[in-house]
Amino acid sequence: MSVRGPRLEFAVGAFLLLALASLLVLAIASTNGKFGFGHSTYPLKARFTNLGQLRTSAPVKIGGVTIGNVADIQLDPSKFDAIVTLAIDSRYKDLPTDTSAGILTGGLLGDSYIGLQPGGDVETLKPGEEIGFTTPAVDLMQMVGKYMFSGGGKPAADADTSTNPPPPENTP
Amino acid sequence: MPTDSAAVRLTDLRLERGGRAVLDGIDLVVPRGSVTAVLGPSGSGKSTLLAALTGELEPAAGTVEVLGAPLPRNKRALLELRQGIGVLLQGNGLLTDLTVAENVGLPLRTHTDLPEPVIRRLVEMKLHAVGLRAAADAFPRELSGGMARRVALARALALDPPLMIYDEPLTGLDPIASGVIMSLIARLNASLGLTSIIVTHHVHETLPVADRAIVIANGRIVFSGTPAELEATADPLVQQFLRGEPDGPIAFDAATRTEVDLAEPA
Amino acid sequence: MPLITATRSLGRAGLFSLSVLRASKPTGDFWRELTREIYKIGARSLPIIVVGGAFVGLVLTLQGYRTLSRFGATNSLSTLLGLSLYRELGPVLTALLFIGRAGSSIAAELGLMRATDQITALGLMGIDPVAKAVAPRFWAAVICVPLLTAFFCSLAIGASYLEAVHVIGLDAGYFWSALKDSVDFVDDYCVAFLKSAVFGGTAALVAAYVGYHAEPTIEGTSIATTRAVVNASLLVLMFNFVLSALLFRS
Repeated sequence: MSVRGPRLEFAVGAFLLLALASLLVLAIASTNGKFGFGHSTYPLKARFTNLGQLRTSAPVKIGGVTIGNVADIQLDPSKFDAIVTLAIDSRYKDLPTDTSAGILTGGLLGDSYIGLQPGGDVETLKPGEEIGFTTPAVDLMQMVGKYMFSGGGKPAADADTSTNPPPPENTP
Repeated sequence: MPTDSAAVRLTDLRLERGGRAVLDGIDLVVPRGSVTAVLGPSGSGKSTLLAALTGELEPAAGTVEVLGAPLPRNKRALLELRQGIGVLLQGNGLLTDLTVAENVGLPLRTHTDLPEPVIRRLVEMKLHAVGLRAAADAFPRELSGGMARRVALARALALDPPLMIYDEPLTGLDPIASGVIMSLIARLNASLGLTSIIVTHHVHETLPVADRAIVIANGRIVFSGTPAELEATADPLVQQFLRGEPDGPIAFDAATRTEVDLAEPA
Repeated sequence: MPLITATRSLGRAGLFSLSVLRASKPTGDFWRELTREIYKIGARSLPIIVVGGAFVGLVLTLQGYRTLSRFGATNSLSTLLGLSLYRELGPVLTALLFIGRAGSSIAAELGLMRATDQITALGLMGIDPVAKAVAPRFWAAVICVPLLTAFFCSLAIGASYLEAVHVIGLDAGYFWSALKDSVDFVDDYCVAFLKSAVFGGTAALVAAYVGYHAEPTIEGTSIATTRAVVNASLLVLMFNFVLSALLFRS
């Protein structure tokens, strides 16, 4: 090596500094900066007749803000609907008992997530309790089919157990 | 302390490589303070003999005694012993990323607790002994073949070993550089009271410097004696080797191994 | 039988790797050698990494835009860039470039050390050649490849930004916010650098093994260099799949 002693050490030091700086800049400028959900979570359950594209680790949001994720998805062997376990950040522990949960998608091509709509009840959901009001996922193809073959213009009364499926939200 | 006056004593040594016997029935005594030349055609097992002396190769049979004691099997003891043997390898073995001074100082920094200024002085002395004090801050790749060989010699002498082993020290050197190396070997042997073993096939440059010569061929020692006796020997194999004749007991045509009439003058 | 010899080769390589780890002791000499190796294989690989990163960013942006614009989804361009860069292209391409530049030089240097009797000389001087020559190179690679990946990703994202915003005309604020939103710190960013460290260590061990055991001839060194690059590249691609499969949750 024709680079020796102090010059070598300077070059290596500069290399390391630049690299660490770029690591820092990348972390700040290009990631969501979530150092893992260090906060503890508490579970809530919800039943859905149709999950659509929902998977575990999908976010749980209120008004677009993520407050937890989907921890587990199981099928009830007797009633044949899906039991979803939500892991909610312990900071948000006072969700009213009349909160409703729906499966929404972020845009036409987006991932599914669970959106919670808090109600107005004074009593709150305890850890492990089940959310009473749920709306299943909207199957876009089914809706289009029904729209097209119902004579157009009049959406047919659907046979699902849902009422007023909420419109798909566009999250930026 | 060893009472034996021999630096190296080989008794009925048998060395194998890959299951095949390279050397067999080797008996050799190297007296202290002497310069012994180990000669022989290529592939005759000279380097294998060196490997046995440094403990790299364990004998299949027989004993190897170096500096009065048998070669130890224990790693630590072998390490101690190796500090008493200086080896000059064919490829020099100078580390490319270190300067000349750092190379020569490597054994000192590894095996001694001497303070830095002392080590630097010692390195200077060793380099001065080989005439290269001015090259202390050069890198090995900046040196000529002869200079690199001399630096390797200085490094081999760093710990003042009583026994020096030279493996083909004249390979790739021009006549002047060869002369420099051989005169260094002779002078250092005399002034430092070393025992030197030179493995080489450069017969004519080595014999003037050697006190004793042995010739290895066909897996055995075919000659052992003084250089004068070597020149005068009647053994056709040794004569072919000395005179550099293309044909003789070692046949030119590798298929035939019969004796050929040496009627033709060189 | 080829299977038996292959298994024995693998075993020898594994034992060699273990001996490298065992020989890694934090002596003063080790830090000096480590510093030197970080310069040789890290700092001197910077040019190819930087140029490579910039061009990969540019072409990802170009091709991504071409395809996404057909679906009216150009808003997802920085998402596409960020995820493909952190999850796969950043660690893998950096590792492959590193193998070509530094892996080959590790193999060549160790092969040369073998051919010029440096390794034998170290042994005769009572210095463990693995500790002096191989361990510093291994740790230098484990340290440098993640750092080089950081450079690669920085250049790629920077070049992509320039092309997306200043050439194609996408919105700058949206570029950054979409990027930040879609790249998870742990699952994408941290995993990328973890993968890089694994790739660096693998590349260094393969190159060192091949070079250290090369035939002590000129031809041997040249064969070793080629084998090192090929084997290291294959192993990196294999490990990339294994790591991605193991670490990808959901």
